[in-house]
Formats: sequence, C-alpha cells, structure tokens
Amino acid sequence: MTNIIDPIAEIDESRAADQDVVIGKSRIIFRRFMRNRTAVAGLFIFLALFLFSLFGGFLTPWDKDTIDPLNIGMGPSPDHFLGTSQAGIDLMALIVEGTRISIFIGLIVGGVSVLISAVYGCTMAFFGGKVDAVMLFILEALIMMPAILVVAVATSGGGGLKNLPSWLLLIIVLLFFSWMGTARLVRSLSMSLMQRDYVKAAKYMGVPSRKIVWRHLVPNIGSLLVLDFTRGITGAVLAEVAFSFIGIGIKLPDVSLGVLIGQATGQVSSFPWMFWVPLTVMFLLTGSLAMMNDGLRDAFDPSSSSIGRAKTKTAKKTIK
Amino acid sequence: MLKYLTKRSGIYLIMIFLTTSAGYFLAVSTLKPAVLEQEKIPRPTPEQVAASFRGLGLDPDATPWERYIGWLGGIITRWDWGRSPNGAFVNAEFADRVLVSTRLFIASIILTLIIGVALGVYSAARQYKYQDRVITSYSYLVHILPAPIAYFLVQLGAISVNETVGQRIFFVTGISTPGIEPGWPAFVDLVAHYAVPTFAMTIFGWAGYQIAQRQYLLDNVNADFVRTARAKGLTRNQAIRRHALRVSFIPVAQSIAFTIPAIFTGGFFAEAIFAWPGIGLWSIQSIGLQDVNVATATLAYGSVIFAIGAILADFATTLVDPRVRVQ
Repeated sequence: MTNIIDPIAEIDESRAADQDVVIGKSRIIFRRFMRNRTAVAGLFIFLALFLFSLFGGFLTPWDKDTIDPLNIGMGPSPDHFLGTSQAGIDLMALIVEGTRISIFIGLIVGGVSVLISAVYGCTMAFFGGKVDAVMLFILEALIMMPAILVVAVATSGGGGLKNLPSWLLLIIVLLFFSWMGTARLVRSLSMSLMQRDYVKAAKYMGVPSRKIVWRHLVPNIGSLLVLDFTRGITGAVLAEVAFSFIGIGIKLPDVSLGVLIGQATGQVSSFPWMFWVPLTVMFLLTGSLAMMNDGLRDAFDPSSSSIGRAKTKTAKKTIK
Repeated sequence: MLKYLTKRSGIYLIMIFLTTSAGYFLAVSTLKPAVLEQEKIPRPTPEQVAASFRGLGLDPDATPWERYIGWLGGIITRWDWGRSPNGAFVNAEFADRVLVSTRLFIASIILTLIIGVALGVYSAARQYKYQDRVITSYSYLVHILPAPIAYFLVQLGAISVNETVGQRIFFVTGISTPGIEPGWPAFVDLVAHYAVPTFAMTIFGWAGYQIAQRQYLLDNVNADFVRTARAKGLTRNQAIRRHALRVSFIPVAQSIAFTIPAIFTGGFFAEAIFAWPGIGLWSIQSIGLQDVNVATATLAYGSVIFAIGAILADFATTLVDPRVRVQ
C-alpha cells in the first residue's frame, strides 16, 4: 500500500478553514478525483446502472414473473426491447432484477467486510500479545479454507439453511471469507502507526485513547478502507457471477447477473441476446468500479503526483 | 531451518485439523443424502435408507458429534476417509482425482509464471510507452472478467475455429477420447485435449504476476543502488537485470507460492467448464449429491495445499533474498 503516512491528515480540519491557504483534505481528495476523467466516467456509469436497477422496471410494461405466450424466445423487438427468454419472460425485466441483486450483494459485502476488517485489525494491533496471536491464528485458519466449497455446501444443503433465500446465504458466506486480507493489512498498518512519534506525543500529553484513534489512526487507515470498499464491491460482484455461473451460489427463482449469464450458456447460438446482454451489463458494472478505483487511489494517495490534466506531462512520469 | 520447519508444520497441522473439522460439521448438518434416495424407483422406505446408510457409516439418525467421532476415529486408526452414499470408498478415488488435476494445471502454472514475470519486466522497462499501456491494460481487463466466463468465451472461440475449419481440431471438453490406439494417435489426442484448457488458464492467469512484477520493479528502478550501478558504468538494461530485478523478484517469489492454492480454487472453474474429472469437479459434484465425506476430504486437501504453499513461500524468500535468515 502506498498510503502509509498522510501528512494532510494531521491538519485539523477546523483550523484549515480559518487559514484559507490550506485546503481541507476532503476537498483535495474530491478535486483530485474529479480531475481524473476515467474515474468520473466510471462513477457516472455506476450511478446510471444503480438508477437503472432501481427504476428500470418502469421502462418495460412486463415483469419477471409474467410469461408472454406470443413471444417465446424472440429476439429484441418493439414489444420487448431486449427480447424474451426461452420461457417467454421479458429479458429487460430480468436484467433490472438481476442487476439490483448483484449491486446489492456487492454493496453489502463490500461495506460490511471493510467494517469487520477495520475493527478486527485494529483490535489485534491495540491489544497485541496473546490476543493478537489467537486472533491471527483464527484469521489464517479462515484464509486456509477453500471458500468455494463452503459456498457450495451452504447453498446446496438440504438442512435448516434451506429456508433462507439464496442471495442472503451467499452474502453471509461471502462476508465470512472476504475480510481477512484487509484485516491483516489494517493490523500491520496500525501497528506501525502506534509507533509513530506523534501518537507517542499525544499519549504522553494525556490525550484519551478514543481521541487518538479518531484523530490519528482513522484518517491514516481511512484511505485504505475507502479503496477496499470499492475493491470489495468488485470482488463480491465477480464472485457472485462466477459462483452462480457454475451453478452454486444464487439459485432460481432468485435472479442475478451470474444466473442469467450461466443459464444462457447452453444456447448461445440460438438465443445470443440472452447471453451477451447480461454479460455486457456485468462488464459495465465491474468496469466502472475498476475505473473509479484507479481514480480513488490517486485521490487518496498523498504521495501521488497524478493529478490529471492540471500538471504537465513531465510531472506525470513520476507516478507511483 | 529444520526446527523452524517442524514448528511451522505443527501450527499448520492444527489449522488443517480445525478447518477440516469445521467443514465436517457444516457438511454434516446441511447435506442430507436421504433426500436424494427418495427419488429412486422403486421408492425405498425411510427405514431401508437409514439401514443402508448405517452400513456405510452415514447414519442419518446419529447426532453430528457422534458421526464426527466415528469419522475421525476411522481416519486416525485406519486412514479411512469414509464412504459415499453410493458405497464408494473416498480413499480409492482420491489419488486418481488429484493426478488428473495436477496434470491439468502443471503446464499452465509454469507458463503463467514465465510469461507473467517476463511481461512484467518488459512493461516496467518501457513504462508509459504504448507496449506498457497495452500489456498493463490487458491485465486490468482480465481482473474484471470472472474466470468461468473467460474460460467459456475461450471455449466458444475454439468451437468456432473447429466449425470454420470443418473438422474437430480442439476438444473443448473431456480428458481423452475413449478407445484411442496408443502411440502417435494417443499423443495427438492428448495435445488436442490439453490445448484449450491450458491456453485459457494461461492467458487469463498471468495478469496478477505481470502487474505485481511491474510494480515492484518500478519501485526499485529509481533506487539509489541502481543509480550507483549506472554511475559505475553499467547500461540501463544491465543495471536492471543485475540489481533491480533480483530485489523486485522477492515479493513475486512469495506470491508464487501463494498462487498454488489460488490455482486450486481457479481449478474448480476450469474443471467445471472443460469437464475434467479432477478434484475440483469432484468436490462440486459430491456436494450436489449431498456427499459429506467427499466434500470434507476435498476441503482438507485444499487446506493442505495451502499450507504447503505457505511453507514454500518462506523457502522461496530465503532462496532469493540473501538478507533473510530463517530461524
């Protein structure tokens, strides 16, 4: 990770407002992000997809449970903009539903796993010693387990888990196996931060621990966590698509992008729109997140000299 | 070194034991093979099902704890990993499955590593030139493409090649044609079956190595010791090759060992898409068949592979980095 020390973070935001020479940290980050055209484009694509998944249902009079007996397995037409499935269900309605489930899984898993890893990693670094050793052992044991097998067992079991909808099960299992890498990073990062002089100074001056955490640790780890949030969303969306594609993960009657793509693979030559349309939507989703991620990294990295078009070409050469 | 190795292996053994036990409890409480037996014709009575499962050590009426004790006892005393609901022994099939998986992955592991590191060095030496941009954007593109879909697209491509030529050059599924004569025809058949999966796993596998190697090399290219080397009269390429490359390879060497289990995971998708009856496909199918013992055995195998990878990572670091001494 590139953002170990963040000098801007040390500037108290309230003081920064009084002296108009210093710009607030969040404004710097926002400006840097907005200068990166790719990242802004990614943000817009993502927002558009998000809105589409919420309100796209109004674009078509059909819903995902209604069968149109006159148009079974038909290509795109004025009645059905994206065509219909082999069962005669409007593809547009399916895609809206699938995109919503996929984005939902991504947001929940990305967000909550960042929270878990931050709390877990900070706890390890704070207590150290025996607590640290035990928690690290649990963490490594979890890394060791092949997540895909647990996903398969949980989603295809016939036991008590059957009552939960498959998307909820998938979210739980993905959450269980997604936070370890970041937790380890947070641990090593906050351990090194605890050794820094300004933290020591604050301690000797009698600043309470809660304030030290809030003022010195959070801003330093914060950028890592924001980055990990977007990366986590991408990872969860990709995992959902991959698992559902080979038949574990989301199960019918729930739809997701992975289910739609996976179902269509049998008849790509006869019903090509059933395969390529959800695949394109998935690409837009993961691609827009990747574009945003790049911009966020540059915006949060204090040592980054990549600030878009405002600098000359020679300055760009020293990125990274 | 030996002492370190023993200690490390001991810790990993405990971890493997814990993950496998946790996996067993999860499998035993969610997988119910009796449900599938109900679909047989003629339909067996619940008593018949229970009796046949009891004979296999899969008693559906026993508590998870009792079954766990019985299963663990079998492994410790007889190295017997239990039986499937259809009566097959897990031990008998395990070795064949591992062999099939290893055969499938070995070529692509080596190719991926060589191509990835070479492209990483090449693109780092030409930072921000068009070669670098093409190679690196390709790697980022691969990152947002889920492995099974990527493999499926390669499969579609191979099928369309077959159709264009008008005869079957590539086999997109399976491991070999049944009833082929040994010798030259068998070899051609082997290559035709290997080509597509190996190609797919290689071109979608090197991205991680390429990005990592490029990043680490760039971190070192402008370091003081490389500048000193250049000042002493080495050319840029010599300085990179002799000084920067070796240092930048250390983290990559570490990640190599950790990708062995990752390839095992990616192997699920490759085996599922290309229908190779390896360990990954076996585990997925066994879970579909509600087979507790096979699912747990494959999970244990995954953990063991990970432990071996982690220990290899330590070794690789000491090999490449003269500053690290393991004790």
